[in-house]
Amino acid sequence: MIIFFVLPLLLTVVWSVFERTMFWMEPAFTLFSYENFFFSSRLENFLSSMFHSSISVVCAFFIGFPIAIFIRRRVKQVAQHRVMLLFILPFMVSEIIRIFALRPILSRNGVVNSFLMDMNLIDSPFSIFVFTPTGVVIGEIVSFLPFMIFSTFLALEAIPNYIFEVCADLGVNRRRMFKDIFLPLAAPGLFAGSVFIFVNGIGIALIPTILGGPGSVNAGLIATQAIIALDFPLAMAVSAIMMFTLMGLLYLGHRLFNLTKLLEPIS
Amino acid sequence: MKKSNAIEVKNLIKTYGDIYALNDVDLNISDGEYFVLLGPSGGGKTTLLRSIGGFIRPDSGSVIIKGKNVNNLPPDKRPTSMVFQGFALFPHMDVAQNIGYGLKLQSIEKNIIDEKVNKMMDLVGLTGLHNRKPHELSGGQQQRVQLARALILENDVLLLDEPLSALDAQLRKDMCIELKRLQKTVGISFVHVTHNQEEAMSVADRIAIIADGKMIEEGTPQEIYNKPKKQFTAEFLGEKNILIGKVYNLNKSKIVLDINNDKIEIANNNYNVSKNQEVSVSIKSESIQIKKNVKSKTNEKNSIFGKVTEITFLGQFVRYLVLLSNDQEIQVRSSEEVANVKLNDQVILNWKLDDFILHNE
Repeated sequence: MIIFFVLPLLLTVVWSVFERTMFWMEPAFTLFSYENFFFSSRLENFLSSMFHSSISVVCAFFIGFPIAIFIRRRVKQVAQHRVMLLFILPFMVSEIIRIFALRPILSRNGVVNSFLMDMNLIDSPFSIFVFTPTGVVIGEIVSFLPFMIFSTFLALEAIPNYIFEVCADLGVNRRRMFKDIFLPLAAPGLFAGSVFIFVNGIGIALIPTILGGPGSVNAGLIATQAIIALDFPLAMAVSAIMMFTLMGLLYLGHRLFNLTKLLEPIS
Repeated sequence: MKKSNAIEVKNLIKTYGDIYALNDVDLNISDGEYFVLLGPSGGGKTTLLRSIGGFIRPDSGSVIIKGKNVNNLPPDKRPTSMVFQGFALFPHMDVAQNIGYGLKLQSIEKNIIDEKVNKMMDLVGLTGLHNRKPHELSGGQQQRVQLARALILENDVLLLDEPLSALDAQLRKDMCIELKRLQKTVGISFVHVTHNQEEAMSVADRIAIIADGKMIEEGTPQEIYNKPKKQFTAEFLGEKNILIGKVYNLNKSKIVLDINNDKIEIANNNYNVSKNQEVSVSIKSESIQIKKNVKSKTNEKNSIFGKVTEITFLGQFVRYLVLLSNDQEIQVRSSEEVANVKLNDQVILNWKLDDFILHNE
């Protein structure tokens, strides 16, 4: 824990206040890197990437959670894990290729646009699917949706079958079932999935690099660009800011929703 | 006065593949009756209960509750509530929420729900535990919450699927008394599934023995225990002394049986048997007297010779195993050690004429 988690975190913070040299950095205490971050378009990019990540989380919730519920309720118990395996299959293809493959699908004369045009649903192709923040959000959903499905399915799987029989006996309708049973009992899984998608949404540089346009830069990409420009202290500062932001959000979430209660083991 | 039927089950059949879980079962349960379905595991009693509750669709036959055919109704549309095996509570709701949830679904006003929940909690003995979560409750308390959750809906029938199986023996005894009291208080029919005969005897007004998907026999606990009509029932209730033989002779008051050439006389309680028919008889081990055999012959009709092969002291009583001349073994329970009866002694066993019970099948 200390070696793999606390130490890198500390180093990140320490290095972020070092002075930049030509090819590396030297020990010092300067907030130049932070200034560099907060008083440039980088802050704006960072905030918008948080916004886009949130949208990805919400979309993944509305797509992934119903899929997990469907698998838990409608697929035979013995087949459930096999169905879950299907969602692992995409991971056998390298992430770069998986995301790159979205380009011909989403581009101006890609599969989606051709289909919509052929169906006479639209007159001219949509160009917002790639090289825009929308493209990044789509890429994030495609990449991270399985994690939402996994984590919520695991939480739903822990719900004993008798709960559904009691519901049948009491006459719980679908809406009530979702609100009173699935949502509270899957809350830990939903939380884990959401945090995972949010963090990766702002942290993974690959997706905005391949699918994003000029306006869609996330924190991961800022850090990557800083490293390419050999500005290590800036890269460290960006990472540190990401970390603190996340901790702050978790704290806020804890104050608002009482995470301990939310994550209380169901027993 | 004949009570009206709360539940009528007619010709119920349910198969799983080639296996008959229910094979043409008929059943009538009266209003306000505590009815127990007793039988070995896998005998079909739970399938029968779940068919009544609507959790299982039978292949054919009908379930009529309060004069209404409910074959095509889902569980919540039937006038039944179910208490499930194990501790089937909503883990994220507290006691009061668990109990009131069924009423909340019916959009009943909150203060009315609270009032009913309070009343119900007092009734089942959970006073003051409103805010406890299920994992903070003992097994017995969790089952009380289930009872309250089911009873608060005020349905005509309460179905209980092995409600006490997860509790320890002492708690089970206490809960039996509690269940019986509760049933008398609310006055509706309870249908209770169990494989535990003690539990069944202590709560039931009437018991049905179910095995291999069939109704073996039904009757009051006294009838089932003292005068089981079927050999299976006697065996299931732990009867060890079952002898198989033929009817040698019979008249209106007596039947003489030939059991491997030993003649035994039993009382004829309107048994429907004929000469030379193969039958089985049983006798409770506490109904037999044992004494040392000093004569070589006896003229007593209701007695038999044997040899003691085992004597076991079991606290409240002493158990003798006696081997008969025809190689059948008989168990004798005596409240105290019989003087001068030792291991390997030749003994004579006596009984009263009507202590033997004849089983037709």
